[in-house]
Amino acid sequence: MMYCIINDGGDTGYCIVEQLVQLNHEVILIDRKDQLPDSLLKMKSNRFSFYSFDFYQTHLIESELKNILLPTEKLNGFVYAAGIGGVRPLALTTTTFVSEMMNANLYAFLEFARLLSKKTRLETGGSIVAISSVSSIKGLKSKIAYSASKAALDAAIRGMATELAERKIRVNSIRKGWVEADLKHDFIQDNIALSTQDDHARQLLGTIGTADLAKLVCFLLSDDSKFISGTNVLLDGAYTIS
Amino acid sequence: MGKFENKYILITGASKGIGFTLAENLDNLGAKLILHASTDAGMNKLTDSFANKGHLLFKADFSDPLSLEEAWQSQINQDIKLDGFVNCVGLRSRRPLTLLKPAHVMQILHANVASFIEMCRLICRKNGFNPGLSIITISSIAAHSGGPGVTAYAASKAATEAAVRCLAKELFKKEIRVNSLVCGQVNTSAYADLMETKSDATDTILERQYLGLGSTQNITNILLFLLGGESCFITGSAIPADGGYLS
Repeated sequence: MMYCIINDGGDTGYCIVEQLVQLNHEVILIDRKDQLPDSLLKMKSNRFSFYSFDFYQTHLIESELKNILLPTEKLNGFVYAAGIGGVRPLALTTTTFVSEMMNANLYAFLEFARLLSKKTRLETGGSIVAISSVSSIKGLKSKIAYSASKAALDAAIRGMATELAERKIRVNSIRKGWVEADLKHDFIQDNIALSTQDDHARQLLGTIGTADLAKLVCFLLSDDSKFISGTNVLLDGAYTIS
Repeated sequence: MGKFENKYILITGASKGIGFTLAENLDNLGAKLILHASTDAGMNKLTDSFANKGHLLFKADFSDPLSLEEAWQSQINQDIKLDGFVNCVGLRSRRPLTLLKPAHVMQILHANVASFIEMCRLICRKNGFNPGLSIITISSIAAHSGGPGVTAYAASKAATEAAVRCLAKELFKKEIRVNSLVCGQVNTSAYADLMETKSDATDTILERQYLGLGSTQNITNILLFLLGGESCFITGSAIPADGGYLS
């Protein structure tokens, strides 16, 4: 099988690549960062290829994909693991800030989906997976734009799933809670500082391992999940119920 | 004395559909209205319908959220303190994925999400509102239930609902409530346009919306409740007004 992973320098994306290669799949990584981490540099596999460009400039995606994929190459699925975070109170939630968030978390994904879901690009029975967040359904103050972008992503998936079902193509998102890979980023620290309660502690099972998230992605890409479509799978360490 | 006597209420997208019916109702109930439309035609209709009743008109292009701050400050008397804001702007979109280019998605998200957040930002400033301000935005069952071709519209409505949950948690300290109203099919001109573009005249949504097609008055009745003090314990929620569709 051949899969494409779209990533913005996040450990989650790298981890998905590693697991898919281990499962003997062919993997194309498209990353906004032009340097690979050691774990992938060490990986000597002719089944893995790597490209970098700034796909948050959505007008570049169509032409860049023509360079990356041969005209005859067809994917069995792709994963959108890119996106940005950010916390701001309403007074500072300017239109520019909202647009940046929507651009990275929704527009770029939809443009990849539009181009990679074409009949010439995606096999019958293919699978599309996007990484969303529990913020989509749980409000936190100062996460207005981020929550809106993730909820938009989750709703977009439902529309796409109904449309692509006739080609047996499945579309799902994962609503993740706190994942190890994300805790490195500054905005999470800002977010914890801004929360009135320790939001992190509400995740009863603790921080989700990056590899655990990657395993769920691999399951949703595989035929083992062939009746799961249009859903937003919760991977939240019991955050939502607590 | 009407129930909303001397209450200042902003209605965006007031020239037709739900917004227009709400404006008529609130006018009868004594409210002082700020009525918004995006187009000249919309402004003309508002002028014709509400002339000499002491309401203010506000023209602004919701597909360009960056223009709203200037429009609001130049057109609306800054001493006004709002008691209610109902956002009825909703740009429709129906396109298969292959035609769903970023420019179109952005247009829908700008009009339906970024502009709503921007209006909230502008009116929730100090001295811009009275305690008890109630903000309601019109959402859609599309945010919860997928349909082919409505990807961008559904995304925009789900985004507003998520923003509402965050806004409610941030603004309650200022005594501001924020809710969304999740509407099913309602008999508006937008609905009539939609039905005209369909190849067959049946609406499959109505098979699941077992109370039948909603009227703008049905929706307005719920909006009046959410605007008033009787609903003072409801915030951060997405309330279905869907004729049973989501059940």
